[in-house]
Amino acid sequence: MIGHRLFGRDHRIAQARAEAWSCGLCAAAPVTVALAAWGLVAGVAMAKSGLTQAQAIGMSLLVFAGTAQLAALPLIAADAPIWVVLLTATIVNLRFVIFSAGLYPVFRHLPLPRRLLLGFLTGDISFALAFSRWSAQPPGASREKTWFYLGICTGTWLAWQVSSIAGILLGGRVPTHWGLDFMGILALIALVLPMIAGAPAAAGALVASVVAVLAAGMPLKLGLVVAVLAGISAAMAVDIALERTGRER
Amino acid sequence: MSAVSIWLTIVGMTLVTLATRSLMLAFGDRIPLPERVQHALRFAPACALAALIVPELLTAQGAWAISLGNARLVAGAAAIAVMLATRSMMATMGLGMAVFLALRHFG
Repeated sequence: MIGHRLFGRDHRIAQARAEAWSCGLCAAAPVTVALAAWGLVAGVAMAKSGLTQAQAIGMSLLVFAGTAQLAALPLIAADAPIWVVLLTATIVNLRFVIFSAGLYPVFRHLPLPRRLLLGFLTGDISFALAFSRWSAQPPGASREKTWFYLGICTGTWLAWQVSSIAGILLGGRVPTHWGLDFMGILALIALVLPMIAGAPAAAGALVASVVAVLAAGMPLKLGLVVAVLAGISAAMAVDIALERTGRER
Repeated sequence: MSAVSIWLTIVGMTLVTLATRSLMLAFGDRIPLPERVQHALRFAPACALAALIVPELLTAQGAWAISLGNARLVAGAAAIAVMLATRSMMATMGLGMAVFLALRHFG
C-alpha cells in the first residue's frame, strides 16, 4: 500500500522506481558517515556562533548548504549588513549554477516543481556521486536516473540534517578538537580521484587546486568560483588540444 | 544582528541557494548552452571538489601550513594513496582518519 502511494499505481513502474531509489540510497551510504561527521561539526559551529537553537535549526533545514552556512556565520556574528551575507552565500553557491546546467539534460522532462525540488537537494556530494555513475551511461534522461538521484539525495539530506541538528542541540558537549570535520574532506578526496581519469580532467583539477590556493584571500570567497572556472577552462584547453593532435594523425 | 534580521538573512540565504541550484534546471530551455559549454561541464565536479579540498589540506587554523607537521596534509596524502591503491571509499576515510588522529595525538 505504502509502496503504491509513494511510487504510483503501475506495479512494474513502481518496482523500477523503488529499485532505482534504493540503488541511489546504497550509492550514498559510504559518504553518509563523512557527511554526518561534517554535519555534526557544522551544527556545533552554528550553536556556538550566537544563533538561537531555533535559528540554527531553521538555517540547517531551509538553507541546506554547508559551505554557505559556514561562510555566513562569522559575518552574522560580526553584524555585517544582510546584503553582504547574501552576496557571500551567492558567490560560494555559484558552483551550483554549473551543476544545475549539468543536471538539466537529465531532468528537463520533469515538471518545474520537481526540478526545483531536485535542485534544492543538490549538494557537492550528491552531484559528484551521480555524475561519476552517469559518466559510464548513455547521456540523456531516464526514469532510472531520476529515482537514483532522488535516492542519493534522500541519503545525503537525512545524514546532513540529523547530524547537524544533533550538533546544534549538543553544542559545546561535542568535542570539536577531534577534528571530525576532516572526515568530510576525506570523503571528497575519495569522490574526486576516480573523476580525474584522463589528461583534461587531471589538468582541470590541478589548475583549479592551484588557483584555489592562490585566490584563497579574495573577498567574499570569490576564490572558489575563480578556481572552478579556471579549472574548467584548462580542462577544455587540453581536451581541444588532444582533439587537434588526434585529427592530425 | 537582531532576531528579525537573522531570520531575514536565513530566508534570503534559502532563496539565493535555491536560485543558484535551480537556475539552469528551471530556465535551461530558455538559456540554450552551446555544445562546447555542455561538454566543458563534464569537468565541473572534479574542478569544484579539487578547489574545495586542496586549500583545506594546505592550511591549519587559517594560516598556510605546507610542512610535514601539518596533520591534514600528511593524512590527506595518505588518503590519496589508499584510494588509488584500493579504490575503496571506506578504506580511504578509515585510514585517512586514523593517520590524522595518530599525528594529532602523538605527532
